[in-house]
Amino acid sequence: MNSPQSSSSSASNPLANVLSRESLFRLLPLVIVLIAALAVGSRSENFLTQQNMINVLLQSASLALMAMGMTVVLITGGIDLSIPSLMAFSGILGAMVLRDGGDPLVAGLVMLATGAAVGFINGFAVAYLRMIPFVVTLSMLAILSGAAVSVTNARSIGLEPGSPFISGVSAPVLGIPLPILIMFAVMLVLEVLLRSSLFGRWLFAVGTNLRAALVAGVPSRRVIALAYVASGLLAGAAAVVTTALQGAAGPTFGREGVVLDVVSSAVLGGVSIYGGVGGAINAVVGAILITLITNSMNLLNVSYFLTLVIKGIVIIAVVALTTQRKG
Amino acid sequence: MSQPFLQMRNIRKRFGAVEALKGVTLEAHAGEALALIGANGAGKSTLMNVLGGVYAPDEGDILLGGQTARLHSPLEAERSGIAFVHQEMAMLPTMSVADNLFISHFPTQMGRIKRTEVLDACRAALQRLGCTFDPRVRVGDLSPGDQQMVEIARAIMTDPKIIIFDEPTSSLTSREKQRLFDVIGALKRAGTVIIYISHFLDEAFALCERAVVLRNGETVGGGMMGDLTYARVVELMIGAQNASADREQQTRQPGAVALQVEGLRREGVLRDLRFSLHKGEVVGLWGLLGSGRSELLRSLVGLDPIDGGMLRIAVNGELRALPPGEARRWMGIVTENRRDDGLLLPMPVKTNMSIANLPELIGRIYPFVDGRREASVSQTYVERLKIKIADLRQPVRTLSGGNQQKVIVGRWLQKAPLVYLMDEPTRGLDVGAKAEIRAIISELAEAGAALLVVSSDIDEIMSISDRYLVLNRGRLVAEFPRGASKNELMAAAAGVGT
Repeated sequence: MNSPQSSSSSASNPLANVLSRESLFRLLPLVIVLIAALAVGSRSENFLTQQNMINVLLQSASLALMAMGMTVVLITGGIDLSIPSLMAFSGILGAMVLRDGGDPLVAGLVMLATGAAVGFINGFAVAYLRMIPFVVTLSMLAILSGAAVSVTNARSIGLEPGSPFISGVSAPVLGIPLPILIMFAVMLVLEVLLRSSLFGRWLFAVGTNLRAALVAGVPSRRVIALAYVASGLLAGAAAVVTTALQGAAGPTFGREGVVLDVVSSAVLGGVSIYGGVGGAINAVVGAILITLITNSMNLLNVSYFLTLVIKGIVIIAVVALTTQRKG
Repeated sequence: MSQPFLQMRNIRKRFGAVEALKGVTLEAHAGEALALIGANGAGKSTLMNVLGGVYAPDEGDILLGGQTARLHSPLEAERSGIAFVHQEMAMLPTMSVADNLFISHFPTQMGRIKRTEVLDACRAALQRLGCTFDPRVRVGDLSPGDQQMVEIARAIMTDPKIIIFDEPTSSLTSREKQRLFDVIGALKRAGTVIIYISHFLDEAFALCERAVVLRNGETVGGGMMGDLTYARVVELMIGAQNASADREQQTRQPGAVALQVEGLRREGVLRDLRFSLHKGEVVGLWGLLGSGRSELLRSLVGLDPIDGGMLRIAVNGELRALPPGEARRWMGIVTENRRDDGLLLPMPVKTNMSIANLPELIGRIYPFVDGRREASVSQTYVERLKIKIADLRQPVRTLSGGNQQKVIVGRWLQKAPLVYLMDEPTRGLDVGAKAEIRAIISELAEAGAALLVVSSDIDEIMSISDRYLVLNRGRLVAEFPRGASKNELMAAAAGVGT
């Protein structure tokens, strides 16, 4: 009993191990989903055509914008469930401006401003009133969904065919539809902001360890509030794209399946739901993957509801695979 | 004299390489209170956790009423009549007093809780303690003193033969304290063995018949309280041969005032603190656990709220009055627990070192963090502090404790604050790393910074400080020059003579 035990030191350079294992875990879901999607898709003749690829990207654009917003909030360790309903609501307000003969540019700005304003309310409640993100944004989802139905009498607002708003937003540039370019441009800007702006660096610090960030002097509340503003703004951008592509805006655009798609996109792309890990590229890759799954299911004539079941299973599987269990 | 009811003989307990208890012997008699005295880390808590069944001893026997007792779990200890009133309250604040008292053993009938029986039992227990509140109120709505009473009520519900009180007065007002002492008196008269752990010697002398003093995991003395003096107990706590500590460096000449604290207070934690720190000096903040040391440091930089007070900080040679939230621009803080609120563990060394200084690393034209400058500045401090890393991109959690601590120091060095606040900067480090951190502290002072350093290790604080401030229950009770003796510091912190 009295013999001195050798205290086993675990200091033997574990760096290499950690890095390789973590990066493997991050790539795993991507690889699995890609293989699965291609396997399913290859059974259909249309899947690998250039036109279908463009279509997949076009269909991804709105989802990718929302997933990027979600990513910003997820990095702080929070969640923004109001994104899809905010997208629908902002789109409706903008479409109403267009219906009343408003300028297309004004309509677009109304959508963006609505998104940012609602995002500010979410952010204020979470950061300054210290409310739980889940509760705040779930309530906001209910408020906006309800408001969207009331404002429209549950009918969607169609834009006139040939409306300058549609042609302005969805026109191809160099053969590529503008929404795809918007998606990639926002991705690049956001990625740079996240990696090397003061806001981005503080965002990761807050999400990694809020208490340590406070001790280090990071203005944490402002950073958290700003994350929700960014998320709202991106929901507004998604509204612009969706309204133009659909030629309409309506309360059903933000229905339950969309929130699942947004969260799944971020998580599949490798954004951690525990905070501190993620990026714009992750969100876009995830959104494209989710769209691929949806697309494959359509080609295989799987019903919408069965698709929901499959997506739900996929997200649980990915989270199970990437969760690091302790002990 | 009767046979002691509790006998702990030659108890040994080892945690890894550290021997926490090196053969401790303790005896306690029915109807008496035994004061268990010792500095931080002397082994008091470990010993009581052995008695409470939390830790199994590696060696030694425990006898209850002359019979060897088997205490292999807290439940077995409870069945043997040992109750533990913990320092940290372990209660369910959103549930009622009755729920808290009965949570583990609700009396039931066909799966239904017998509500009236529970409430009657609670009222009886609370009445014994002189409490008048209803057992149906939420524990969270009670005052700290009443919460403590609930904790005690839970302990006496089982009619224990031994009750351990671990620092029970740290959150009590003086009136609540008196009530607690009355309760302990009543328990003694009923024949219960009381083991009373407290840093406050005055309480021990007022309340207890007998004392045992531990130092470094050994019983170093004790006896009847009437035969002991404060001075003798303090000497036993710290060891006579140890009364003068070695100095590691020469006296420094302090410069102008860097920080002046005026009337800083926070209800129940900090009481009207007034002091100043000078450029080029290390001030040791000495006090026992719970005296408000960490709280003071955190309040100075606005991490904890304050109820009043002002800081004056020397900005460009002129003292400017500022609230803590703004004054922190000129201060750097190393917190007590680096893993908890110091480091961004999964993030690279570089990120951890630049996080406090990021606004300075923004390019003039390009409005983003200048990665190259970030790396070169961090590299400078890695070299200056001799931090052992393979790569600046290495996650900081892969470093040893000493290197992690240096990363945090390096973070503030980058910012070059006027004042450094350091809370237990060498905790958990090995001997070599401790010495390195102490050397860095000296260098910072010599470079003209003001440092306020908290340490529970008296030898360490005596080796680095130019001056001492002593805290006791949130009050500054003494200030000593560099030449102060260990006994003076110990006595002031334990509240002797105040």
